Amino acid sequence: MAIFKSNDPKQPEPVKPSAAPTPEGVRMTEPPRPQATAQPLSPVTPPARTGVLMASVISKALKITGQLESTEDIQIDGEIDGDVRGVAVKIGNNAKVKGTVYGDEVELAGTIDGKIEAKKVILTGTARMTGDVMHQDIKIESGAYIDGHLKPEFGKSGAKPAAVASAPRPLQSVPTGT
Amino acid sequence: MFALTRRPDTKKAPARDSGGVSVSRLGKGVKVRGILEIEGELVVSGQIFGRIAALKVTITPDGFVEGDIVAREVVIGGRLEGRVYAPTVLVEVTAQVTGRLFHHTIEVIRGARVDGRTPWRPVNFFENLDHLPEA
Repeated sequence: MAIFKSNDPKQPEPVKPSAAPTPEGVRMTEPPRPQATAQPLSPVTPPARTGVLMASVISKALKITGQLESTEDIQIDGEIDGDVRGVAVKIGNNAKVKGTVYGDEVELAGTIDGKIEAKKVILTGTARMTGDVMHQDIKIESGAYIDGHLKPEFGKSGAKPAAVASAPRPLQSVPTGT
Repeated sequence: MFALTRRPDTKKAPARDSGGVSVSRLGKGVKVRGILEIEGELVVSGQIFGRIAALKVTITPDGFVEGDIVAREVVIGGRLEGRVYAPTVLVEVTAQVTGRLFHHTIEVIRGARVDGRTPWRPVNFFENLDHLPEA
């Protein structure tokens, strides 16, 4: 057991049924398992802000034209042409959003052409923000590009807090026709 | 050799795996209105009102889609109201479908609810579906 611990500190008990019958000496021949440590075994409990196993992922190949709403954390790596409403919104390096991003916490590493309205805003070094930022609490890392005003007015003015549940102005649904 | 100690767990989280096609997930709390275009797979557990174009679309039992889906493969486990254009369609036991399923190959699990038609089309019908036929 101690052998496994030194090997794999994050998993005190190796949950590997096939390992039981194998003699101890064979241990060295096992292939390394880098993925096991990198990703927790249970994806059910998303580690809140790691971004790797978030409940919702808009991957980089996805383009959304329209409105996106979420009552849970969301990671955006793709392209969104429209508004985003979420709780914790992470906008990844190559992501592009054209529209307003509402949320409790917005972390931007990509590009926004529009507006941010969030309680807590983080603009990382790769962020490119064109437009105003309404916030209560902001962090700007060196390297971030900002073309717009920063207003610490989130929740004060007529700007509604990004209450996700009260979905305002439902967009006209795209004609489908059965 | 590779079959020996490969852990099944490692296949579970391919979301950011750059090796395969990119997978997008829309969780339960997500609602989208509009058009979704993805060169990869889309897993829907939330609600989508609009049109989806993807390589593969999976609607989980929690998912709901109102609108049209164009894909190479569609797996329906949730609710769908609209049309599907896909060469391969799988309707799971938990599915509730209202609309039309244009397909080349279809499988409907016993117990699924399908209210609508499932027209068969030759493969080349699906190859150039840039704009949807108003059929």
